[in-house]
Amino acid sequence: MAEKLDVKQGTLALMILRTLEVLGPLHGYGIARRIEETSKNRLTLNYGTLYPALLKLEQEGFVTAEWRQSENNRRAKFYALTAAGRKQLAREAREWHRTADLIAAFLAPRREAP
Amino acid sequence: MRHVRAALARIAGFFAGHRADEDLRDELQSHLDMETAENIRRGIPPDEARRQARLASGGLTQAAEAVRDQRGVPLIEGALADIRYAVRALRRSPGFTAVVALTLGLGIGANTAIFSVVRGVLLRPLPHKDGDRLVYLRHSADGPARSNIEFSVPEVTDLRAGAPSLAGIAEYSPFFFTLHGDKGAIRIDVCLVTGNYFEIMGLAPVLGRLTHPGDDGPGVPPVMVLTHRFWMRHFGGDTGIVGRQVRLGSKSATVIGVVQPAPSFPDPVDALTNMVLSDHHLSAAMVLDRSHRMTEAVARLAPGATLEQARAEIAAVFARMQGQHPEAYDSTAHHRVAAIRFKEVLGERARLTLWLLMGAAAFVLIISAANVANLTLMRGVRREHELVVRAALGAGVARLRRLLLAENLVLTSMGAILGGIIAIGGLGLLISLAERYSPRANEIRLDGVVLGFALALAALVALLLSFVASLPREGAFAAWIAAGGHRVSGTFRSHLLQRGLVVAQVAVSVVLLAGAGLLTRTMMELADVETGLVTENVLTVPVPLFDPTRLDFASDGTTKERYDRMRREVFALPGVVEVGLGSTMPLRASLMAFDVAAEGKPLAPGAAMPHADLRTASPEYFRAAGIPLRQGREFDTTDQPGGARVVVINETLARALFPGEDPLGKRIAFRSEVLRFTPFSGDWRTIVGVVGATQDGGLDAQPRGVVFAPYAQELAIFGGLVIRAQGESDASDLAATATRIVRRIAPEAPIENVLTVAQIKDQSVAPRRLNAALVSSFGILAVLIAAVGIAGVLAFSVSARTTEIGIRMSLGANSGRVQRMILGEGGVLLAIGLALGVVGAYFAAGVIRGLLFGIAPHDPTTFIGVAVIMAAIGIGACWIPALRAARIDPAITMRAT
Repeated sequence: MAEKLDVKQGTLALMILRTLEVLGPLHGYGIARRIEETSKNRLTLNYGTLYPALLKLEQEGFVTAEWRQSENNRRAKFYALTAAGRKQLAREAREWHRTADLIAAFLAPRREAP
Repeated sequence: MRHVRAALARIAGFFAGHRADEDLRDELQSHLDMETAENIRRGIPPDEARRQARLASGGLTQAAEAVRDQRGVPLIEGALADIRYAVRALRRSPGFTAVVALTLGLGIGANTAIFSVVRGVLLRPLPHKDGDRLVYLRHSADGPARSNIEFSVPEVTDLRAGAPSLAGIAEYSPFFFTLHGDKGAIRIDVCLVTGNYFEIMGLAPVLGRLTHPGDDGPGVPPVMVLTHRFWMRHFGGDTGIVGRQVRLGSKSATVIGVVQPAPSFPDPVDALTNMVLSDHHLSAAMVLDRSHRMTEAVARLAPGATLEQARAEIAAVFARMQGQHPEAYDSTAHHRVAAIRFKEVLGERARLTLWLLMGAAAFVLIISAANVANLTLMRGVRREHELVVRAALGAGVARLRRLLLAENLVLTSMGAILGGIIAIGGLGLLISLAERYSPRANEIRLDGVVLGFALALAALVALLLSFVASLPREGAFAAWIAAGGHRVSGTFRSHLLQRGLVVAQVAVSVVLLAGAGLLTRTMMELADVETGLVTENVLTVPVPLFDPTRLDFASDGTTKERYDRMRREVFALPGVVEVGLGSTMPLRASLMAFDVAAEGKPLAPGAAMPHADLRTASPEYFRAAGIPLRQGREFDTTDQPGGARVVVINETLARALFPGEDPLGKRIAFRSEVLRFTPFSGDWRTIVGVVGATQDGGLDAQPRGVVFAPYAQELAIFGGLVIRAQGESDASDLAATATRIVRRIAPEAPIENVLTVAQIKDQSVAPRRLNAALVSSFGILAVLIAAVGIAGVLAFSVSARTTEIGIRMSLGANSGRVQRMILGEGGVLLAIGLALGVVGAYFAAGVIRGLLFGIAPHDPTTFIGVAVIMAAIGIGACWIPALRAARIDPAITMRAT
């Protein structure tokens, strides 16, 4: 079984924003499921990580929250991306790509020493 | 932007509290439900499905906590919880809380009140624009009453020309006028100022305009600027005052404006006028004579110039002046000019007294904080059990420390509030004290800075208290918990600390008591000073008939007739034994003083010529005032104008001029440069009598030499009536009737300061009395607090050693022995404290030397008395716990263990 990873707060925010962009408004449970699935179950999310992150995004104005009926008629709190959130996602994704490229370049197989 | 928004959301979340919690619970529950449903869908039985859902998501409570932390401001929420807890804990021990709050309240209150005075009088920046650039110039010389002899106009002119570091020098001359208005004639204190005065001083008008150089010199319209205080008090703040004509003596002046509130030196004044209002100030004597010194000088430093530069320049100019005009400077008297910052000069009379009071108040606070520290320590030991339980439940050292800090903050805040109330109550008294020492007393107030000072004190005390309590080091909890709550005796360290605090309290109390003792003795010594008058049944009524605005000596005859009429009418009143006429009133400083030469007695080289006051006296004056005749005769009705020039001198002058000789029949003459410009002659005068010396310069001053001239032979310039009554009460009863008679005959004269000799004496003693009373009350407070401290520590020691005492008693120690043991324990602390205190008092007494009178700073009687009082109170305080120890019943204590 693959090693389970903890999620860093900043990364988690990015994942949440991306999930909401792809799937549209979604409740906490759905977000958690989706992130776990996307990570092929290498990530687990418990409430203690997920809900503070959602609250923080809400405080920063990147998502809005609203109580609604879910697909199978349950009441749940749905989170939706705001315009500011969309911009933030683009920005963070860009930065993440840049960082990833940089790290990848660093970690590329070493040439033989001269 | 994003952070601001997040912060605002957090603060909002902090207040949302309850509602948000419910929302969160619902959300988490819905999450759990969905997860369970999913599990069931996968075919897991419902119970198991729910269990797995819970496991997968981590603890619900922890999650809620994490979200709550994100939502609000955890630090503040924690602090609020701590404070709520602290209040609850303190409410459980109301006695402890009350004692601590009261003790700290007294300490903080005393400090706050005195600090407000120190700040108003000494520390606050001057209201003048760039007030720190103002420099007061002081001309002084050796000899009695010559520490500030002021400047002559030519001297100021030279300084102005020769000191480029000074942007300008303003002249002012404190004077007084009679203001005639709807409220009758009143005497007002004024400053005659040069036109540049307000500009140099950096003062702005609140109404109208101030004087400018165009108001200088002869032939300009007389103008008057009111001080803010006088405008409010006398004219009720009437804004229509500008342009109004007022009568000053026989002249009139136009009120041109009101100046902003600002202190003046040396004393507060009512108004400032241009020089043209006083004939004398434009006379040749004033303007041209280098030795006619009636002018004060304040300068403003030029931009970029330093005080040191200015001092060097002034010294150079002044040395040159003395070289060019040797006749104006007594070479033996060492004339000098000091340049002092105006702010410093304003505070100089108050400084020593105020720092003394501040020090005393600080000592009281130290003692009360020590006491509270002791109480906290003892309470801390009693609470060890509680703290152990808390530690066992997972509270770390930092957490416990925070709890203690919260408790102490609540305690000291209560102290600060109480202190604030005490300070407000005591402020009136302190302002009346400050008015005697400082022209800035009206600037004293409890403002934000002062209240901030009180709060800072409270916070500081709280911090200190939180760190005296002993908590185990991190990691040592296990041992602490294992020891459990049985160890009620506390650690050796805290015992030592408690004892040290008691010793400090005793020592500081001794210092305060010694100060209080010395000041009280000073006051008593002063009250016991002989005035030089043989009776106190004397009423003095100064009647200024001379108009200071005019140099009009021609009307002297009419003036004297009016004085005579007053004398006759007052003499006819019942209860009056004798009425004398003269100037100045006895026990009041004379405004006229000259050098005196004795005929045929050349001065020894280097010796200064004796200086004496000139006073006048009618034949009845000495008998009326109760001034004893030592030799020769009093004046006679035959000593009339045109007759032989005779004088009576006092014994101080007799000793100075004719040591070991009989002064009767010898001749003396006034010999001052300034004499040329006064109506007094330098003729030789024959001494016909010698009278006793009187305390004219105040009870604590050296008696001055006096020359009395016959009232009839000199001008009646500052005249008045001296009334001898049958009994002491008669003297004060006569005041109203005598004033009525005088007012009827001289309705234009301001009649003020009608005082009996006893009242004059009291005016001299009163400021010292207030001083002594304040320091004494601090001393008594300190001793009481220290006594409570000793008793508390011993009582605690007894209760901690109950078992030990029980064992001792069951092994044969009787109750007397146990009592002695506890007394001995307290006695050692007391003795060490006393010894330290006496050493401290020895040094402290040297510092307040300048405030003492008639008593040595290291007066052994006072020191011994203080030590005895402290010892007695201390032993008394030890007695109560010692008695309690002696009453311990061994049978009961042994069984209880």
